[in-house]
Amino acid sequence: MALLEVRHLTKRWPTGRLALDDVGFEVKEGEILGLLGHNGAGKSTIMGITLGMVRPDIGEVRIGGRSVQKDRGGALQQIGAIYEAAVFYDYLSGWQNLRALCSLSGWWDEAEVKRVVQMVNLTRAIQQKTATYSHGMRQRLALAQALLPQPKILLLDEPTDGLDPEGIREFRELILHLRKHHGLTIMLNSHLLGEVEQMCDRCVILKDGKKVFEGPVPSQEKSRRMFQLETSDIGLAREVLGRAGATMDKLGIVEVPLNLEPHELVAAMVHGKVPVTAWQPYRRTLEELYMGLSSKA
Amino acid sequence: MILFFQQWYSELLKLFARRRTYIGFGAFVALQVIIFLLIKKFGLPTQRLIAGAGENVDYYLSALTVASFVVGVSVFLLGALFLSLVAGDIVAKEGEDGHMRMLLARPISRFRLLLLKYLTCTGYAVFLIQFLAWSAFLLGLVLRGWGGGYFAVVPEISVIAFYDWTPGLQRYLLSSLFLGVSMTAISSIAFFLSCFRIKPAAATIGALTYVLVDFIMRTSGFMDSYQHLLITKHMSTWGRILAETIDWPLVWRGYAVVLAVNISLFTIGYAVFESRDLKS
Repeated sequence: MALLEVRHLTKRWPTGRLALDDVGFEVKEGEILGLLGHNGAGKSTIMGITLGMVRPDIGEVRIGGRSVQKDRGGALQQIGAIYEAAVFYDYLSGWQNLRALCSLSGWWDEAEVKRVVQMVNLTRAIQQKTATYSHGMRQRLALAQALLPQPKILLLDEPTDGLDPEGIREFRELILHLRKHHGLTIMLNSHLLGEVEQMCDRCVILKDGKKVFEGPVPSQEKSRRMFQLETSDIGLAREVLGRAGATMDKLGIVEVPLNLEPHELVAAMVHGKVPVTAWQPYRRTLEELYMGLSSKA
Repeated sequence: MILFFQQWYSELLKLFARRRTYIGFGAFVALQVIIFLLIKKFGLPTQRLIAGAGENVDYYLSALTVASFVVGVSVFLLGALFLSLVAGDIVAKEGEDGHMRMLLARPISRFRLLLLKYLTCTGYAVFLIQFLAWSAFLLGLVLRGWGGGYFAVVPEISVIAFYDWTPGLQRYLLSSLFLGVSMTAISSIAFFLSCFRIKPAAATIGALTYVLVDFIMRTSGFMDSYQHLLITKHMSTWGRILAETIDWPLVWRGYAVVLAVNISLFTIGYAVFESRDLKS
């Protein structure tokens, strides 16, 4: 079931630049979806529209069946978000910041807040002014506020931006923990391919405001079986594999059709006297997918 | 309703937890002390008026008379500036800093959020003027002691009145409350400008400029036939509270205009803010 539906979003800025061009996708319950794209591709605009801060020219976003554009308050009850930079009132403590933000949701439960603060590992610093926080602590406080009060969906807009490698890993583990143990549905906006590859089940790739890909993150692909073939006679290999019903690209990546088993292809190649020097399982990376789409466009 | 007050409390906390807010209060007290020292050295400029009216100068040169003069001067010199600063910041600065995006990622409507902020900055106006009135009164007590009369003068609306201590104190406190309400008009102008996509300083300067130009036009004489169009004319209604016989219909009429201007500025400001896309 789709918890978040993005439908035909089109947005043109007053300057005339087209930010989004008929973009649509869904985020299913319990899924982590990555939004990928270059700077200015439209990722943050989608986040902004999802939070009702940016108005689309056409289209709508529905959260749990409620339209953000028609019933923003109701739709946003189910969402927690880090949108663009996490900014806090530096002259207030972390706790006071959380209290001020939660009051806008009409909610406050001290025990639950303490639990979340502990989960993001801020218990010792929560009474300190946020002016004293490091960037990593601010990001963790931002995550804490997004988790209060118990959202069904988390929207994370480049959450690891500016974090050091340890901070990124810590943040990633926390997000995966939240999905595993709290069943959270997450939409993650990032331009860090490795981050998306390690955290997301599916991804949507945007280029110049258009959706150019929607599907499983390559490392998560289970249905596609691919092998890398090394041979001194590519032409013959392509001919034999083609007769068997498989395809091979110019890099020697062979996609095995669902009606065939890999060993049948190997047998066909042996039978066809293809000089095979190597045949090994191949897993496409997100970077290859992303760069391929970029170069196509 | 309880939720609304909880949310308002959070807004007030944000305002009053800032060191800058107290720098404002401190600046006012410093200015008041300077004015008091000048009065102590050179006397009160209105002393001649008291003598001219054939009244006992020593009796009417009381803590209330001195405080009243000090409040008038300090509000004229710094009041508009500080109220414009606070109200000019309240939306524009939060938008510029990114706080607004954090706040509006919550299920709260823009109308409600702006209403909370508007009530905070107008509430601050009333509070600040009350603070000034009380601090000036306390400094007046230090200078002149308890008791005496109260010589109230508001030249711009031709109010001159003499009171004994108790009725004088009542009029002083009541007029300070009305002065606070008058000053919400300045907060409203700055708040209105703050709702546009502009720098906070631009909202502050814009509001100050408007009030100053309005004041100059009112006092320069060539707008005599159009005084009803000038906001400072209606803001000066607070002075009528000091008249021996309060012309209440005139007072309510003046405040009805101030209220109408405030509501209009809030509504237009909200409409502007509502139509904005909030994205860096």
